[in-house]
Amino acid sequence: MEFFGKIVISGLVNGAIYGLVAIGFVLIYKASSVLNFSQGYMLLLGAYIFWVFKASLKLDLLFSLLITIPLGFLMGILIERLTLRPLIGQPLVSIITVTIFLSLVIEGLVSIIWGTYPLQQMSPFFRGSLRVGKINLTSGTLFAFGLALGAMFALIFLFRYTRLGLAMRGVAEGHQIMQSMGISVKRILTICWGIAGVAATLGGILLGSTLGFQLGLSYIGLLAIPAAFIGGLDSPEGAIVGGLLIGLIESIASGYFGKASGVPTSYVILIVVMLFRPYGLFGLRGIERI
Amino acid sequence: MLKVNNVEVKYAGVILILRGVSFEVPDGSIIALLGSNGAGKTTTLKAISGLLRTELGEVTAGTIEYDERRIDQQDSEEVAKRGIIQVMEGRKVLGHLTVEENLILGGYILKKTNVKKDLDMVYDYFPKLKTLRNATSGYLSGGEQQMLVMGRAMMAHPKIMLLDEPSLGLAPLLVDEIYEIVARLNAEEKTSVIVVEQNARAALAISEYSYVMENGRVVLDGPSSKLANNEDIKEFYLGLSKLGEKRSYREVKHYKRRKRWL
Repeated sequence: MEFFGKIVISGLVNGAIYGLVAIGFVLIYKASSVLNFSQGYMLLLGAYIFWVFKASLKLDLLFSLLITIPLGFLMGILIERLTLRPLIGQPLVSIITVTIFLSLVIEGLVSIIWGTYPLQQMSPFFRGSLRVGKINLTSGTLFAFGLALGAMFALIFLFRYTRLGLAMRGVAEGHQIMQSMGISVKRILTICWGIAGVAATLGGILLGSTLGFQLGLSYIGLLAIPAAFIGGLDSPEGAIVGGLLIGLIESIASGYFGKASGVPTSYVILIVVMLFRPYGLFGLRGIERI
Repeated sequence: MLKVNNVEVKYAGVILILRGVSFEVPDGSIIALLGSNGAGKTTTLKAISGLLRTELGEVTAGTIEYDERRIDQQDSEEVAKRGIIQVMEGRKVLGHLTVEENLILGGYILKKTNVKKDLDMVYDYFPKLKTLRNATSGYLSGGEQQMLVMGRAMMAHPKIMLLDEPSLGLAPLLVDEIYEIVARLNAEEKTSVIVVEQNARAALAISEYSYVMENGRVVLDGPSSKLANNEDIKEFYLGLSKLGEKRSYREVKHYKRRKRWL
């Protein structure tokens, strides 16, 4: 029972992080129909940038976060500007291909700057722990879970209840319609990429502080993609559920069937969900009028 | 005053759609652009609103001026900010959003505006939309969607509204209702309207001045009441030939009347 509790908790914590990263993925897909396969590598870069401020320059936690998060926003914008803006109006396949190979470029960049070995370990969050029954919760775990959940709900709130969020949902419905109302679609898309960058960066920081800052983060960060698919590609709320689900599945599988089975099992579940609900669990169905 | 001066439009750099179109829209007037499929009416509207530039089209010659300033090389966002809003053909609602969300986005470009007051204004013109305010717009009927897209454009308080085929696919009663609202909008808000129509009868009835387009050119223009009595217009656009006279099969024409303007 104790073992099971531990597994569930670590699954939920990782799941919350996947969910957060998946929201970034969903935002971009919803607004521009682009599948951003470089999301996992944006996560890697964001995590390493944080490491520079926190571990190399030894700034304190809050200060490092305050610097890294705007940089994450900037990273998203830059990627959009340099590689995707010139491709507006081109076939989606070429844009998606660019995001796939962009991942390799980012990974290469990271290994050139920081090398391929894992960076020096650090636990950026306050020490201490909390006992619930027989299970020991470290404050790092709690912090990661709280921050991921908080960031997710902030993003959902932004998306559902603000003017900017409304414009994002509008852009998802059709670019030319929004332009006919005088709304700059490019600006909204830029903001979406910025937000995706922030989500990835935060996810990277949280994953890195539990799993260590290493190149493998991107591989784990890619689990955000099945999370987004399972939740429904155009539903940010679905991304949260999908993230938690993937986190749990991965954790349970690797707990009971060996570490190597975690990630593949997640993808098996993804395929099964796709077979029975191609829209995902919460995806919007196309409106057809007869 | 909007002045369209000898405008030529090319798509993708090679396909010539408009071959020198000129007309003007005095402030507060309703102008109709008539013509059959492929005449270039919609392209003319898109050239004005700048939406042309979102689909590989380009104004390659001539000028479009609004209040003495050129707008033909501006993006749709800038044109919209100057008060020219296009209501596209085919009832383009933002399908998964509610009626009210659609309307709010219509007023998105106005920085200082009282959204609630503007919503009430639109609901006053279209009482039906008020009862549907929380409905998903993709599931509305065609007439309701047409009202919604027009209301959405009104949220931006346009000086000129470009209406593309508002009667397309609507029942005759609804067409009358829509055009009554256009007339009221013009009278009360002093909004100029350029209406593009295949339903020539409705458009001639509401507009002050009309232009007939064919093959990317304006081939005939005049006050709408006068055009409605033009023999060619009657024959080709209103489907009348000497209505009211007793017909005899001896006089059935074996030839097609030729247009006199070519």
